[in-house]
Amino acid sequence: MTRSIAVAVAIARKDLVAEWRTRELVPALAQFVVLALVIANFGFQIDSRSAPAIAPGVLWLALVFAGLVAFGRAFAAEREQATLEAVLLTAAAPAAIFAGKALAAGLLLVLCEAVLLPALALFFGVPISFGLVFAVLLATVGMAALGCLFAAMVAQLRARELLLPLLTLPLWIPFIVAGGQAVQVAMGADGTMDQALKLLLDFDILFVVLTSLAARFVLDD
Amino acid sequence: MSAIVAESVSHWFGSEPALDAVDLVVERGDHVAVLGENGAGKTTLLRILATALRPSSGKLEIMGLDALRERRRLRGRMGYVAHAPGIYGALTAEENLAFFCDLRGADRARVPEALELARLTQVARRRASELSRGMQQRLAIARAVLHDPLLLILDEPDASLDAEGADLIAAVMNGRTAVLATHDQALATRLCQRTLTLRKGRVLGQGSRLRIVQ
Repeated sequence: MTRSIAVAVAIARKDLVAEWRTRELVPALAQFVVLALVIANFGFQIDSRSAPAIAPGVLWLALVFAGLVAFGRAFAAEREQATLEAVLLTAAAPAAIFAGKALAAGLLLVLCEAVLLPALALFFGVPISFGLVFAVLLATVGMAALGCLFAAMVAQLRARELLLPLLTLPLWIPFIVAGGQAVQVAMGADGTMDQALKLLLDFDILFVVLTSLAARFVLDD
Repeated sequence: MSAIVAESVSHWFGSEPALDAVDLVVERGDHVAVLGENGAGKTTLLRILATALRPSSGKLEIMGLDALRERRRLRGRMGYVAHAPGIYGALTAEENLAFFCDLRGADRARVPEALELARLTQVARRRASELSRGMQQRLAIARAVLHDPLLLILDEPDASLDAEGADLIAAVMNGRTAVLATHDQALATRLCQRTLTLRKGRVLGQGSRLRIVQ
């Protein structure tokens, strides 16, 4: 167990150091989410009454598409450098390798969220509460697990850019439904946030366990 | 006990056979050169031996372990140098080796020794993307022996290496069982006692060092 944690940490650290030095992903994603908000700002007639109804949808759309790019890159970089095979042949547990990749990609998406949420408050004038941030972070965990699993699955295929959203988006719907509900409540809609957060936590546990078990078959076979 | 026993190992890519019923026995400490033209099946055979690829059929036993069932245990005992160096360009040479030490559970104290062996100490803190192709190849060779493996699988490690690089290959093979794929007959003669020649996925012949010279 300790060995697997050490492997996951080493993989995540390596990915984060590589991103820090190359700055390939995060600046581009940050620009993308800001541009998405600018377009939404001009595309919708936003006033103080309509903003809380529109903002959650815009937030999840921006997050979903930023996530697809972030998780797709997690394995694309390994493919381009022909390094994945060297990593797999080290005898490290595939689940630990997968966990490290998902952890790094999830953290990079959190960096984008750190740009997205203040920008959302700025463009839409909606409040950013602790509950909203917590809901987005909870959704990020499960989305990272699923996104990285499918990114690993399609990494060696020719039509990977097309297949990744086709495989991932349907399984992200539970996070978007529960996360959307939590964000709507955080922005003033009726309802309770606790139930949506508990649901997000349940989905996180379920998908983290399932993807860790599936990682062996995806990465090793 | 032999280091490698392959019985009737075959592999198909679609309907094309890349390897056709290859038999191979490598004794412990032996150095075997795999020779053949491009497309003969050398890389496929070496990837199967390195457990990077499952054969379509046949039996494979490495170090007394079933190579199809106990792949993870085997990977801890062997080192593999692929045709492409497969190193992280954004990390330094030193960081590349330290990262693989972490994955293998090897002591990071082995990194300076491995850099010295590959004559990369002077460029240890340079990003791998800034190293020449030959230096990257030497880094990949150093990485393959970080955990002191019993068996080395080397797929054309001499590609892009200079004369000193051949000495590095000799140094890492010394004291280990090794299977080396190469186009360089002189290198095969110098480093290996036996050869296996492939053509279109089939074994054309197996021979000794004497036969290569002839």
